[in-house]
Amino acid sequence: MTNLRRRTVLAGTAGLLAVPHQSRAQAVKPRLTVISQWTSGSDGAAITALGKKFEEKGGIWQHSPVPGFTTEMMNKLRAQIMAGDPPACSQLKGPEIAAWSKIAATTDLDAIVAAAGYEKVVAPDLARLHKPGGHWISLPLQIYSTNMLFLSKRAMDKAKADQIPVTWADFNALAAKMKAAGVTYPIANGGTRPDDGQKFEASLAGISPTAYRAAIMNLDETALKGPEVKAAFVQVRKIADWMDPNTAAQHFSTNLKRFVAGDMGMMIQGGWAQGVLLNAGYKLDDFIIAPGPTDNGKPVFLLNADAFIFWQRKEADLQAGQALMAQLVMDPAIQTMYSQITGSIPVRTDVDLSGPGWSDGQRRTAAALKEAVASNQAVLSLAHNMAQQNGVTAAMIDVITEYVKDKTITPDEAASRLNEAVEGSH
Amino acid sequence: MSETAAARRPKVFGLVRRLPEHLTIWLPLLLAAGHIVSFSLWTLWVSFTPSTLLPEFGWVGLHNYTAVLATRNWRIAFDNLLLFGSAFVVLSLLTGLGLAILLDQRIRGENVLRSIFLYPMAVSFVVTGTVWSWLLNPGVGVQKFVNDFGWMSFRFDWLINRDMAIWTIVMAAVWQSAGFGMALFLAGLRSVDTDLIKAAQIDGAGPFRLYRRVILPTLWPITVTVVVIQLQFAITTFDLVRALTGGGPGIATLLPALVVYDFMFQRGLLGRGAAAAVLMLLTLLAVLLPYAAWRHVQARQAARA
Amino acid sequence: MRDTTFTPGRILIYLAVWSLAAAWLVPLAVVMLNSVRTAEEIVQTSMIGWPEHWAWDNYRTAWADFCVAQTCAGIRPYMLNSALVSIPATIISTVFGAVAGYAVSLWRFPGDRWIYGVVTLGLFLPQQMRLLPWTIVLRDVGLINTLTGLVLIHSIQGLSFTTLFCRNYYIAIPRELIGAARIDGAGFFRIFRRIVLPLSPPILIVTVIWQFTHIWNEFLYGVTFTTGQQQPVTAALIALSAAVADVPQHGVQSAAVMIAALPTLLVYLLGGRYFVRGLTAGAVK
Repeated sequence: MTNLRRRTVLAGTAGLLAVPHQSRAQAVKPRLTVISQWTSGSDGAAITALGKKFEEKGGIWQHSPVPGFTTEMMNKLRAQIMAGDPPACSQLKGPEIAAWSKIAATTDLDAIVAAAGYEKVVAPDLARLHKPGGHWISLPLQIYSTNMLFLSKRAMDKAKADQIPVTWADFNALAAKMKAAGVTYPIANGGTRPDDGQKFEASLAGISPTAYRAAIMNLDETALKGPEVKAAFVQVRKIADWMDPNTAAQHFSTNLKRFVAGDMGMMIQGGWAQGVLLNAGYKLDDFIIAPGPTDNGKPVFLLNADAFIFWQRKEADLQAGQALMAQLVMDPAIQTMYSQITGSIPVRTDVDLSGPGWSDGQRRTAAALKEAVASNQAVLSLAHNMAQQNGVTAAMIDVITEYVKDKTITPDEAASRLNEAVEGSH
Repeated sequence: MSETAAARRPKVFGLVRRLPEHLTIWLPLLLAAGHIVSFSLWTLWVSFTPSTLLPEFGWVGLHNYTAVLATRNWRIAFDNLLLFGSAFVVLSLLTGLGLAILLDQRIRGENVLRSIFLYPMAVSFVVTGTVWSWLLNPGVGVQKFVNDFGWMSFRFDWLINRDMAIWTIVMAAVWQSAGFGMALFLAGLRSVDTDLIKAAQIDGAGPFRLYRRVILPTLWPITVTVVVIQLQFAITTFDLVRALTGGGPGIATLLPALVVYDFMFQRGLLGRGAAAAVLMLLTLLAVLLPYAAWRHVQARQAARA
Repeated sequence: MRDTTFTPGRILIYLAVWSLAAAWLVPLAVVMLNSVRTAEEIVQTSMIGWPEHWAWDNYRTAWADFCVAQTCAGIRPYMLNSALVSIPATIISTVFGAVAGYAVSLWRFPGDRWIYGVVTLGLFLPQQMRLLPWTIVLRDVGLINTLTGLVLIHSIQGLSFTTLFCRNYYIAIPRELIGAARIDGAGFFRIFRRIVLPLSPPILIVTVIWQFTHIWNEFLYGVTFTTGQQQPVTAALIALSAAVADVPQHGVQSAAVMIAALPTLLVYLLGGRYFVRGLTAGAVK
């Protein structure tokens, strides 16, 4: 695109011309243009609250939410970049940060991050994603674990079970017990693509976080063909067999009523499911939240983190806005506010979650993260686009979702198809 | 070629005089045709480049094509298009014709009925797809409704059946667009020469014979229009599938338009998405060109006769 | 004219046509019922059901209250945006389509068949494929993030449909009529004004209905090429459908769907009569 390049050059000269102006107007009012897909519900409420804080600090908050799937948000971002007018800050996550940072210039946040001493309090795998090329150009905002285990109290009572399952064997035993005790469907998950992906990643990472890291994060061919991947597919089939076949491609919230009533027993969901349950009018004592099953007994944390990327802008007010935004996003008070609205946990590992604004589920999640980081069992979620770029992720999820929905595919076939999908996506 | 300069001058003069006319004819046509041709050529170009998030220069030959053709997604989508396209066009044609014949029986409340069959066309596919996804879901929709009435063995679970799910899209699409065919056919039925009908009735033709022998043959030109419109509907179907099945169960109900969008924008593989789009257009041309050739031959024969 | 005798055969016809009509209305009924149920009730019972508590409030929330990020103004402002795009684009594409259809049907000029063929081919290009080329065009003419940009896109893309419809309609106008007018010295515009335009209302209403509903219901370009407060109503509707992490707001969303569909439904109801007549004349010959 010659046109695009020409424009970039023009933008560059315009920036040079603007320099004296910039130093003269030091007292410029910070302004921030933001693109995100957070339009409604708790996501919308949280980013709106963040915007309010930004305005309280004297900034001008210009948020353009893009409704729909992440794809639509990216279309918008692409259009803005092609027009030479990227937002000062936009929502982007995982390895896409590295990919997109190659098509337009970003802002180097190293100085601001160092001044805040932020790197020490962020999980290393997470930090790496946000500094492709060694420099911080984006900042994570909140963390979810995608493999939390939700247990229905009434289904537990029905099965006369009082132990929270720790390993996959415990989990399978409890599901069988529930089924025998008259719980119609022991698993209450939904059937969307990310949901199917979660079933697989929770299985594999729970069986062996090392194998997960090798196969899914590093795409190591031996690991992809290894016994753990096959074992994970076997576990996924068990989960699928315990689910209501009618769930089709539906959102898990369709099943909440039967889950709480004890007609369905367990869900493997992200921490966000807590907020969904509460917003649907259910109570905290209707369900229990625990870390997902792991065969070595220590928690495995499948990281899903929302983040902002900062695009290079020459305007003094936008640059001031970026600096203010970066400071806000790293601020423990802001992270607390944000996570308390959405039900996630803060990115900072040094935030105290003992206060009344936090739930037990969030405390357990934060504790699991700390423990998982310590034992090197915090890995990046495939289903939520943290482990691979979208092209690879989508090809892998194709295989997984077909396997969940089609019980004629054997685990061996699924494993070899997964390997083919990875090869074919390059 | 053998024109003299003197003869040419008035022609040039005429051109200038008729400039507004030429502009009015050509400007909209050139804009419309120009964007179609240039967009298609641009897509063709991108399909040979290694483009990912943004279009970029470079040449990868047929790599994008081989990569797309090797995916299950494309094969499934292509088979689905053949099945969905033909089933949908035929069924919406027949449904539209059936509704038109029913409405043509001089019945009361025709205005209301016509509006009922037409209203789905006014609503966006995202909405109708979502509503159909509830209705067709065996756990919440029609099946549950009938089961709750006591007929427990009733099954209507196409939505979760890999082989049948594509038919739920056919159903929803027919529901949404049959009204268009109905409107066209109804209009056609109303304009059949009444003398022709009377003559046939005097000959003792019953209603079935009347339709088969006298009325339906006159509807042929309308049928062509309906087929063209429904065919474009079939090929560009996107939102309906996204809202109704999300391409599932698994990836069983993908259609080429979804694959194009998915590759281009969700996966960030522009080159591959463009290759899928070109393959889709080639398929379309394979259908349309023989038809155009046939029309051409027909027109010539008609001119000779 | 209406047949008032009820023979068994006619009863059968009535039965068939009204049961089909009832089936056709089911999806509308589901949305209407959901529009007066609360989100909690829908999640706790089923997507399909009779309201336990009539939540008429949904309509007020949908119209003026719900928030898209920091803006809590319901779908009202977005309805206006959609109108600002749909109305001009419908008019422009209809006017130019009528002229183009008139030109390709009643006049011969070099390349007429080819260009008409290409324009028709445009019907089959999926929207998704045109997204990036349009991005480049809008960037180069400086109309990204403007409603004018959307009007431009829909005016040009709509030409495929309007030209096709008008051409198929005008082709039925007897050539002798045009020939006679030309002998009398009438030119291109005069013939259009005096002969073709007076015959056109049915087909123009058809193209207006068609274009208006398609542009009104469009989503992809609407969200890509506008920003924040300029977004069309479809964007606001999608904004209400939940992310993975939320309870779907089906109640308010259904109410918003009902409100957002009103203009297109009205256009169909009022214009439906002409829709049938208009298509007649064109398609018959």
